[in-house]
Amino acid sequence: MTALLRITGLHLDARTPRGTAHILRGIDLDVGQGRIVGVVGESGSGKSTLALALLRLLPGNVTRLDGQAVMDGTDLLALPDAAMGAWRGSRIAMIFQDPATALNPLFTIGTHLRDVLRRRQPGLSRAALRTQAEAALRRVEIADPAARLRAYPHELSGGMRQRVMIAMALLAQPTLLLADEPTTALDATVEAGIIGLFRGLRADLGGAILFISHDLALVADLCDDIAVLYGGLVVETGPAPAVTTDPAHPYTAALLACAIEDGGSGRLPSIPGDVPDPVTEPPGCIFAPRCPLVEARCRAEPQPLRPVSPGRAAACWKAA
Amino acid sequence: MTPAAELRGVGVTFPSGVGALSNVSLGLPAGAVTGLVGESGSGKTTLCRVLMGLQAASSGTVLFGGEPLPALLARGRLAFRRQAQMLLQDAAGSLSPRMTLRRLLAEPAAIHGLPRKEAWARTEGLMRRLGLSPDLLDKYPHQVSGGQARRVAVARALVLRPALLVADEPTAGLDVSVQGELLNLLLDLQAELGLTLLVCSHNLPVIRRITTETVVMYLGEVVEHGPTAALFTSPAHPYTAALLSTRPGAPGRITLHGEVPSPVHPPAGCRFHTRCPQAQTRCTTEHPELRQAAGQTVRCHYPLVGDPAPQEMA
Repeated sequence: MTALLRITGLHLDARTPRGTAHILRGIDLDVGQGRIVGVVGESGSGKSTLALALLRLLPGNVTRLDGQAVMDGTDLLALPDAAMGAWRGSRIAMIFQDPATALNPLFTIGTHLRDVLRRRQPGLSRAALRTQAEAALRRVEIADPAARLRAYPHELSGGMRQRVMIAMALLAQPTLLLADEPTTALDATVEAGIIGLFRGLRADLGGAILFISHDLALVADLCDDIAVLYGGLVVETGPAPAVTTDPAHPYTAALLACAIEDGGSGRLPSIPGDVPDPVTEPPGCIFAPRCPLVEARCRAEPQPLRPVSPGRAAACWKAA
Repeated sequence: MTPAAELRGVGVTFPSGVGALSNVSLGLPAGAVTGLVGESGSGKTTLCRVLMGLQAASSGTVLFGGEPLPALLARGRLAFRRQAQMLLQDAAGSLSPRMTLRRLLAEPAAIHGLPRKEAWARTEGLMRRLGLSPDLLDKYPHQVSGGQARRVAVARALVLRPALLVADEPTAGLDVSVQGELLNLLLDLQAELGLTLLVCSHNLPVIRRITTETVVMYLGEVVEHGPTAALFTSPAHPYTAALLSTRPGAPGRITLHGEVPSPVHPPAGCRFHTRCPQAQTRCTTEHPELRQAAGQTVRCHYPLVGDPAPQEMA
């Protein structure tokens, strides 16, 4: 598998009133060409920051951004600002969690779609713009596309707005599509339809999709590969079926055990303790304070991601 | 058994013309855990607000402990509040950012004029049960985790020893690694205090696991109601079937086409017919009444279980 994007040692610190927060503590992740890669983690694991770091859309309190994110031979983190601007929305596009705030309320759906097209192919005729915009809406299964092009975002439902966001991403034809919790704000029956669209998108896009979610079951269902984030680190990576049926890292195993099974009974499962405080710098494994298998060594030595079997890696010395 | 609270033919229409609830009848068995599921716009939150006396019913009757709610409220709002408490969806947001947890936890007793010492002893007992360390008392809500804020909200609701607790999405926004612990604590306290609990949630595995009865709503109507185990294994309403098929690992996902219609102009006939995979002509014109199908109550001309007679009529 050739990597479309190779992230190595990605660190991000931010200044907060309580001190320096270590949001990303050295992320290593390969995104394979043509793959849908799921990034799963709980709140504070750094999954959204990872996507924003790749686009370099970061708030002013970031004090450190190091490491590499190499795509097509270019390090995204080293690109001059102007060049990064040209990559955004063309080679790398993003679908945000809340489609209501991602669309501009003052412009029609048609304007949003035509703007993307003009950026990609300047000089397209008005008729061609309209035809392509309508085709994009049809591709995301929006009925009556001609009428929808004249609609404003508030006239559409949440599911429909997220379909519009996906249509915009399709028109941008990015090599890398970042999707940050694209179905979290949607109802379950609407989510099912959007996930169906993502499955189809892979064929339309030449590149890869980085799908960020807190929902391990959803990621397991949709994605080819999974990266499990915890406290700003990737603790496990591998093909989705392998990671979810035979987890190598104790955190992945504990997270999978939290799924509420049909027909189960007794106490509901949970992981005791709290997620790591980003302001602290534990000397050992980031998961040690909550790990059921913890030993003295875990608290003393950091646990780098290491290969455990072909195509799989875990940040635990016990993983085999 | 007399239900702890009951709605009989309750309708709520807002001045905007939005019909949030339409002819809802529902009893909450005393001391039991009932689940309420449905997507946004189905009327779940309005139903909770009606039960809590925060929203008046435009039609129908709301009974609490067998008494009409308006009469109870007229006699004394505070007395009713001690009986019925609500856990709001955004628990952290429901805590004043300017008050320490100590003040937040003492507030219910102060509002209700309860003896301070006795009430605080009860609060301390609840904090121990909920795993809230006394070190947290001088912190502000933004200084504690989402799970801890949620537990503070539970303690605030239960210190008054209500008979009914309505929990609106008690685990929404919580990480999966902590939601189980919160639900365990809530259920322990429910059993101990003999609470009648209504849980509204999108989270179907949670509803299946913790409730004995489940009510499914769509566009302001109850479309199915029955024992949780039966409803999850053999749903009678096509909407319930589609909703259940979205659960992770559920076999044969049913993808619904189209959007949830506007509650201002609900579709004629069956409100679900615009998205129903098995809608027939009759469904577009004739509004189905609730009826029995196997052990469930269902609002469908062609239920998926039970009495096959209506299919022959089609």
